[in-house]
Amino acid sequence: MADSPSFRRHPLPFSIDLVRWLPSSTSSGRLLAAAVHDLSSSQLHLLPLPDPASPLASLPLPSRATALRCSPSVLAAATSSGSLHLLPSSFDAGSAISVPSGAGFHVGPVRGLDCGGEEWVTAGEDGRVHVVSGGGDGRVVAKRVWDGKGMSGYEAARWASSAEFATGGAGCGVQWWDRRKGDAVVAQCKGIWGRGIATGMVHSIDIHPSRKHICVVGGSSGTIFAWDLRWQQQPIPLSGVGLDGTAQSVCESEVWEVLFDNYTQSSDIISSASTRMLPVMMCSEDGILAIVEQDERPLELLAEPCAINSFDIDPQNPSDVVCALEWESIGVLTRGRDAMAEE
Amino acid sequence: MMPGMPAANGGAIVPFSGEPHHAASVPHVRPIRHGVAPPIFRVYVSWSSGNLLQVACLRQPSPEDGGGSGSEEVAGRVVEVNLGVGNGSAEVEKEVDEAEMRRIEYGSVPAFALLQSRKNALAGTAAMSHMQAVPEHAEWWQYVLEYSKTIGYLLGNPDSLPAPMIEDARAILKVKEKPTSLKAAWELLEIFYVDKQLHSWLPERLVDWLADYDSLLTKTDGTVYCKLSNFQKKLINLQIVENDPDYWNGLSAALSVGWLDVVVNMLRFHGSYQLDQMDNRETENGLVEAVAVLVSTMPRMRPDLPTGKLGQCCKTRPDFIKAWEKWRGQVSKLECSAFWIQCGHQKTRDGLKNLLHIMMGNIKDVTAATSHWLELFTSHVLYIRPFTVGFEGMHHLAQKCIQLKPSFDNNGLTGLLTGILSENPEVVLAECTKKFGPWMVTHAMELLAADNDYADIMLHEERPNFGGMSIEELHRLVYAQVLCSHSLTWQIAPTYLSSCLNQGLGLLEILLLKQPIQDNRLVLKTLELCRLYELENVSTNIMKIAGIFHWKHGRKGTGVYWFQQAHDKVRLDRIAQQLFERIGESVAADNFKQWEGLLELLGSDIGSAGGLEFLHRYRDFKRSLQQALEGRTAEAARQTVEFLIQLMRNPSTPQRFWLPLLHDSVMLLNCKPRPLLNVAETTLLLNKLQEVSMAKLRPDYCSNQLTSHALNSVRLALASNLACAILEEP
Repeated sequence: MADSPSFRRHPLPFSIDLVRWLPSSTSSGRLLAAAVHDLSSSQLHLLPLPDPASPLASLPLPSRATALRCSPSVLAAATSSGSLHLLPSSFDAGSAISVPSGAGFHVGPVRGLDCGGEEWVTAGEDGRVHVVSGGGDGRVVAKRVWDGKGMSGYEAARWASSAEFATGGAGCGVQWWDRRKGDAVVAQCKGIWGRGIATGMVHSIDIHPSRKHICVVGGSSGTIFAWDLRWQQQPIPLSGVGLDGTAQSVCESEVWEVLFDNYTQSSDIISSASTRMLPVMMCSEDGILAIVEQDERPLELLAEPCAINSFDIDPQNPSDVVCALEWESIGVLTRGRDAMAEE
Repeated sequence: MMPGMPAANGGAIVPFSGEPHHAASVPHVRPIRHGVAPPIFRVYVSWSSGNLLQVACLRQPSPEDGGGSGSEEVAGRVVEVNLGVGNGSAEVEKEVDEAEMRRIEYGSVPAFALLQSRKNALAGTAAMSHMQAVPEHAEWWQYVLEYSKTIGYLLGNPDSLPAPMIEDARAILKVKEKPTSLKAAWELLEIFYVDKQLHSWLPERLVDWLADYDSLLTKTDGTVYCKLSNFQKKLINLQIVENDPDYWNGLSAALSVGWLDVVVNMLRFHGSYQLDQMDNRETENGLVEAVAVLVSTMPRMRPDLPTGKLGQCCKTRPDFIKAWEKWRGQVSKLECSAFWIQCGHQKTRDGLKNLLHIMMGNIKDVTAATSHWLELFTSHVLYIRPFTVGFEGMHHLAQKCIQLKPSFDNNGLTGLLTGILSENPEVVLAECTKKFGPWMVTHAMELLAADNDYADIMLHEERPNFGGMSIEELHRLVYAQVLCSHSLTWQIAPTYLSSCLNQGLGLLEILLLKQPIQDNRLVLKTLELCRLYELENVSTNIMKIAGIFHWKHGRKGTGVYWFQQAHDKVRLDRIAQQLFERIGESVAADNFKQWEGLLELLGSDIGSAGGLEFLHRYRDFKRSLQQALEGRTAEAARQTVEFLIQLMRNPSTPQRFWLPLLHDSVMLLNCKPRPLLNVAETTLLLNKLQEVSMAKLRPDYCSNQLTSHALNSVRLALASNLACAILEEP
């Protein structure tokens, strides 16, 4: 057998809400961005690996971070008060740019945040959707795409292409937006929620860059499903409680994040090129980090005694996964180089 | 709480003290920045979760700022005040910093939960087998030992520091992670209460323990550790060590508490080992080496020796007794040897002889060599009563040692040990509470009761003066309260509360209901706990509270979502009424786009939407009508009319929408060559129209903007439709 996966927990003196790998340009160690809070303050920390005990740099935030994403050059964090903070991934806190919360932007938590080339999309619980882009002179401009006036709230957002993005939220399932068609919702999916629950909440959406017509969605009650724009009426269940036998349930609680996992080889390579879903990694409130695949038993990577609030797969080194644990620690999982492929 | 009266000076709030002359009750003044301009009309104070106090400051509502548009001033504000940061915790918890303590708290949850579930499983099997002898019971202490080891590991791992690259030959004491009293106390309890295998070699365990934690015994009085570390500092500047009295003092001190490796290492510093002196000091060197050999072969009654420790390991008692007699014989023989006369160095002769006397168990020398009573106690156990088994006479011995070397610096460890040796679990528990805090007490109770029936009864007996609670439950509740008071640790409190049969569940419900509901993710975390502990009504209540919060703050969709999750028909109906009023104001098609998200939320499962069901049908009707008017296809028109009839038949359609609905359809009714409605349908609509016009006369009628002209045009359209329909029908 190949190397077994190794997992290491690093206790930190604050609570970690979100964690992401930062693109490391140099060979000198690897870097993490973590949105943390303690009793008195919320901050964005730059943490070094393998020993993340003391932050290399920090940026204070006005309230707890609700979303954190990084593009190759920029790190962006949105907060529970509704502000957006952009800073270069070199973590030069002096050149950070903020879009303050308020009537002109968001009021309340902004959980949907994603980078699509030059533009950032933000979707908040207040029902507003913005596209934020550079104004050319070092400032940023937030353009309002939609104001739901609180009639619906968004919890997740993801770009599919430079003109299309998907959002999801409380009870409203998933929407597909097309900027070329007047910034409008062009498709809508109710989602799949089992156990007699009429609706559930979407927490996370991921879209694979090579298959831009498919979103994978994670939400309440252990639900994970894929939605293919070509077959809009039939979302494909990947996991969920009380679904009719078509998918196994990997957990029963909230699925906080989902990401396509490039590292795990699909067990059937030929069919994966056509109709099958690619493997998806998820983390949950009941402490599960697992890989789910269509028509396969879920592969559990971690079963922690506390919630896993966030995780990220290193884009440069996809065998490595970092996760934020509820009990004030981060965990780094290194998967054996060939463990998955040999199975 | 009673609303208090604010003081006049700029709006500061001064607490009222009942006894102003009493020194202990001097009010603690805390300024609050509430930002509300004076005069403040009313102040409300209430407890939030943990140490948070919520203070609401309100101004007198005045009629002129009723509109709220022009006035910049805040009418009132709620501020949260965090009281008592950092106080109230035990002394030892300060030694461990707060984040580190939280790490210990988190880490002990799985171990505690596992032990509780094993306990319940055993109780279950015991009940099943009708209280017959349960074989598993014998293994209980092993479960507790596993638990104790897990927790002990959390408290610190002495070997976690990497070994130095170059070992310093002149280092007397190894560099280790700084020991904590918490870990020391935990190990003491484990040694004496849990590990049954250890009882035959308890004295040796105590020696090991002292080797790790001697530095913690006292801050003011001296210890062996102190002596050695002072000598270590001095060592760098010493040319001839054997001329320094501290060298010999250090040696006898280390030997008296059984640190054989330290003694042998230090003996090798002796000047006679130096190559240039070998020739002159041959006999002297021989004596030093002989003592070193005797020290390193001292028999020890223990299963194994860790690497680096010296001595001759004896696994059984007869072996040990035999080896001990033999070794003592060798010590005595050396003591009487003729070579001492040939040893020219006076200090070496005296120092080495002193070491031999300690090994022979000479009370006077042993007493002189040690500093703290516990060290004296240990050397008694090692050299004077080497065959002691278990607790036999230990308490008496401890009393004697305390008399000889009284200590005035009670740091908890010695108090704890006195309690243990006097076999008094109450004292042990009290020391834990006083010195080591609620975490320690809660987790240590499991050790106390592991194999001690008296402690078991003492901890678990229901006490009427505690409202039927046991001491165990009381301490767990106290610890749970400590956890609840911190926003990062409240989530682990339920594990402890749920193990409290008497009051735990009630407090758990209160804890969950008190959690903030502003953030959806936090609400979901709270709901997950409700799911785990099967508290469905609590979770319904939380959803309703969250629903109202979001609704009030304009996040209507989220509000409706939570009400739906809570199956709260009553509030959904209420909300429906409020929403309908808005629709009545704006029915233009463009505005309707705003409602799309909410309608999607309501979903196809109309049953769960309560009164909001109407919205869905209304949207369908509007959409269809638009298509019918644009496309003018017969199919679309027919569809629209069907929606209209459904709406008019449905009892949940509010009356005030009847006329607007009919009026919207007039165009459709008029433009068709053939009637869209049959006689029965037309009659239904006419009846509804009649009802509306009758209602107009009632005093509680709420007027629409539609005029009597609209009424007439609807009536005319329906009448002409009826006429056509009658003609059409066979």
